[in-house]
Amino acid sequence: MTNEQVFADATKAVGEAIIELEHVDKFFGSFQALKDINLKVGLQEVVVVIGPSGSGKSTMIRCINRLEEHDNGRIVVDGIELSEDVRNIQEIRRETGMVFQQFNLFPHLSVIDNVTLAPRQVRRMPKDEAERLAMEILERVQIPEQARKYPGQLSGGQQQRVAIARSLAMKPKVMLFDEPTSALDPEMINEVLDAMKDLAREGMTMIVVTHEMGFAREVADRVVFMADGQIVEVGPPEHFFTNPQEDRTKLFLSQIL
Amino acid sequence: MTTTEGSSRPPFYRDVRVLKWLFQLVVFAIVAAIALWLWGNFRRNAAASGIPTSFDFLSAPATFSIPGADFNPNSPVRSAYVVGFLNTLRVSIVGIILATVLGVLIGIGRLSTNWVVSRLSAVYVEVFRNLPLLVLLTFVFLGVVLQFMPPIAEAWTPVSWIIVSNRGIGVPWYEGVSGWALLLVLAIGMVGWWLIARWRQRVFERTGQPSRAGILGSGFFLVTLILGWVLLGAMLTLPSIDGRQIIDGIRVDPSFFALLLGLAIYTASHIAEITRGSIQAVPRGQGEAAAALALTGFQRMWKVILPQAMRIAIPPLGNQYLNLIKNSSLGAGFAYFELTNVTQTTVGNGSPSVPAFFLTLVIYVVISLVTSGLVNLANQRFKVVER
Amino acid sequence: MTSPPTTLGTGTRAARWARKHLFRTWLDSALTIVFGGLALYLIFRFVLFVFVNARWEIIQVNLKLLMVGRWPSDQLMVMAVSVAVLGLWVGLIAGLVHRRQMRAGQSRLTAMTGGQRVVDLVRRFGLIIGTVLLLLALTNTNGPWLMAATTVVASVVGRVIGGAAGTRVLPRWVARTGVLLLALVPFAIYVYLSRTLALADWEGFFFNITSAIAGIILCFPLGVLLALARRSKLRLLQSLSILYIEFVRGSPLFVLLLMANVSLEFFVPASIAPSKVIRAIVVFTIFTGAYLAEIVRGGLQSVPRGQEEAAKSLGLSPTKQMGLIVLPQALRNVIPAQIGQFISLFKDTTLAGLALGILDLLEGAKAITQQPDFRGQGLIIETLVFVGFLFWVGSFTMSRESQRLERKLGVGTR
Repeated sequence: MTNEQVFADATKAVGEAIIELEHVDKFFGSFQALKDINLKVGLQEVVVVIGPSGSGKSTMIRCINRLEEHDNGRIVVDGIELSEDVRNIQEIRRETGMVFQQFNLFPHLSVIDNVTLAPRQVRRMPKDEAERLAMEILERVQIPEQARKYPGQLSGGQQQRVAIARSLAMKPKVMLFDEPTSALDPEMINEVLDAMKDLAREGMTMIVVTHEMGFAREVADRVVFMADGQIVEVGPPEHFFTNPQEDRTKLFLSQIL
Repeated sequence: MTTTEGSSRPPFYRDVRVLKWLFQLVVFAIVAAIALWLWGNFRRNAAASGIPTSFDFLSAPATFSIPGADFNPNSPVRSAYVVGFLNTLRVSIVGIILATVLGVLIGIGRLSTNWVVSRLSAVYVEVFRNLPLLVLLTFVFLGVVLQFMPPIAEAWTPVSWIIVSNRGIGVPWYEGVSGWALLLVLAIGMVGWWLIARWRQRVFERTGQPSRAGILGSGFFLVTLILGWVLLGAMLTLPSIDGRQIIDGIRVDPSFFALLLGLAIYTASHIAEITRGSIQAVPRGQGEAAAALALTGFQRMWKVILPQAMRIAIPPLGNQYLNLIKNSSLGAGFAYFELTNVTQTTVGNGSPSVPAFFLTLVIYVVISLVTSGLVNLANQRFKVVER
Repeated sequence: MTSPPTTLGTGTRAARWARKHLFRTWLDSALTIVFGGLALYLIFRFVLFVFVNARWEIIQVNLKLLMVGRWPSDQLMVMAVSVAVLGLWVGLIAGLVHRRQMRAGQSRLTAMTGGQRVVDLVRRFGLIIGTVLLLLALTNTNGPWLMAATTVVASVVGRVIGGAAGTRVLPRWVARTGVLLLALVPFAIYVYLSRTLALADWEGFFFNITSAIAGIILCFPLGVLLALARRSKLRLLQSLSILYIEFVRGSPLFVLLLMANVSLEFFVPASIAPSKVIRAIVVFTIFTGAYLAEIVRGGLQSVPRGQEEAAKSLGLSPTKQMGLIVLPQALRNVIPAQIGQFISLFKDTTLAGLALGILDLLEGAKAITQQPDFRGQGLIIETLVFVGFLFWVGSFTMSRESQRLERKLGVGTR
């Protein structure tokens, strides 16, 4: 692949583009966290974002569901532009699900209440229907027996799978993962990664910020490498890991692989 | 793939920024409406009752006297306020000093290895922390002072120069020199102490010889005091009983004494808890590390544990001092003429109540803010430098 | 292998303890002797006072006056019923809370046998039980005994029902109406009591307790709103909130009460003439609201930001984020501080007696020493000791329970 072809990949989605970032900048005070980000993510595509800490990967996906506000450029999710419009923001948040590094489960609610909260409050689903949906999803992530327990009683891996279930209950079009396994003990990482792989196989559009290279190699359609707030290189995993083009990419890969 | 028009402004009723301002406006409108209603009621009622609402009353003659101070009943009300304010300061400052000394001692005692001392301290703290201050003050005033202090004819004199009676407590005082001069001597002594401490500290750093700053400094302080006393020609006056009065010396008003005692005992129990808590909050490893470095017990306390404990203690300590100052307002119930009592009296004598009390509240709030500011300053000065 | 030094029986062990804790150094021994002697002397004098010298007749005769003021004597049944209902209510809530804790795996009660639970309860509430028995001993009618017995029975029944109800999954309408009824009970009791005697005439220890409860309940919405406003990024809201909080916290409660005594009528339409009790409760609400605001603010700060972010990313509106996720956690985190504030308020209700001339427990105690039978005998000591004791028992017990709760919740160590 030539350089131009590699870079062209970032702005061309595999399939129909469901997320578009065009010339996105983000400043924290005078520090520029995102510099001219251009990315298109297609329907059912799995994009894995890697890079050193401070590269802006988390900031980028947090801009997509407006946990951070971008300063310049356009972000469009499923045809809705992310702007100051409250209705747009709420709609985008309904269509995207986010899984956090620290799980952020609600400790005062049981597992099933955590999962049914948003469908009942936001989509106004009746309680029984919501609970049926919740149990279905909990079975998909293989912890249906924990439904009545409280987050504090679960292991880290179980909690993160509940977090995934909680986001899935809203039937989002896109799932955003912000370093989902970084806070887990090693023996629990696999159960979460397995759940994520199942999701990918079922055709969910996913953007995953992670350090798990095995996951990237196995499941990603494209790998995006970010450093210093910019997208440095993009490519399919089979090319990306074996034949990186940019020096910065080579440096990073040599440090972690 | 559909796209909306680039960055068009959303309709105003959905625009996040507009909504924020709208919300603020609505809240402001509600608060303003309530305030205007209250103000309207106030104006109407004040006009109907014919009571003035300005601050002119401050210039009117007070028409009451303040026991324990030579206050001319014809002075304007604002002078009475000043007297009240000074009385508040007086009982507060002495109270803070007493409470701190007592409280820190009891707090340290609570951690003593001596079982008797530690238990007694615990009992003291648990008893007085859980009593309402007013009950304690009432007890001290009505119970101790009025009941147990003997009438002047049978005054108790443990030594010839202390007189205890229900008209007051007589203790020796200075005379023949102005109070300001003595204060100046005190200030000179303290500055000198501080300078000596700094000099000796530098000597210690340069040569490693013990600084002995404490001994030298306090020695200088004492010498200055004595010299100043003699040179200024100050004399001691000893109290004595003349008929039904205590003359000479200085008479500590029974109300002042009761208020002071109650405030000090009560606040000391809280300060003891703070002291104990902050010493215990210093990680055990600190004391262990200091011991491993062969520092003696005193050195461990003084150089390692107490400095860290002090940092932790400053905010809650400041809070207790503030509470003591505010609690001094209870003097109004015990015939001590601090600020609240003065306000109460002047209102009873015809001053308009709303402006009078409002002024008093403002004064207390200012005292509070100043004290908080000082506490913050102290906190900043002693903060641990962190990454 | 050498064997460890043997203990030579309890005698030596006690002596060793004494050497370590009482007589380690010369200074230590001196302290022990001086303070030990002082302590023994004080205990001796105190016991002598309480059991031998004091004339408790004044309390016995005036017990009703001190407790409920001038409540009509023939209507004491109303009081008894209210206390019993309150006991039932507390029991129900305790039962429901316990069930909820058990489900969340936070209760250690299941580890205790029935007998151990009784011992635990006695240890925690023994002081209150003892005080109640003491008060009952001072009365000379059967009424109070019946009231106490009924209340205990009602509490136990409530606890059992609450525990049972908590385990079942009830149909939604039953659960909803149940919670609503529970919330309304305090107000219902108030209405019931005020029909017998208007709020304006509530006196005695009854006044201290009810005005404290009213103050803390009413100040809650105010405190939460102020805390939210203070945290808000909207400048105007924040400034207003800070202004209110700092002004009220800088003012002595006593001065505010004195002011309410003479000034409150200026701020309300002339047709309303607020009674002293109402004035006291209004001031308590205004005052405690500011302190509660700071407590709630601390609680809000203790909730990790991720909670708000998770709620946001699920699409919950800001109101729902706060009301369903952040605020419940915030309030739960500062329960001990809230209890502390209530204890403070409880003790400060005595100020209303002095400032406004309400005949609360303290004022009552002072007043009865002026009765013709008791005047001039220095009985103020007895009455003040009695008053101090009652307040002390309440405050000490609540304080200890709060510490226990703090340990159990593991607040701040999650």
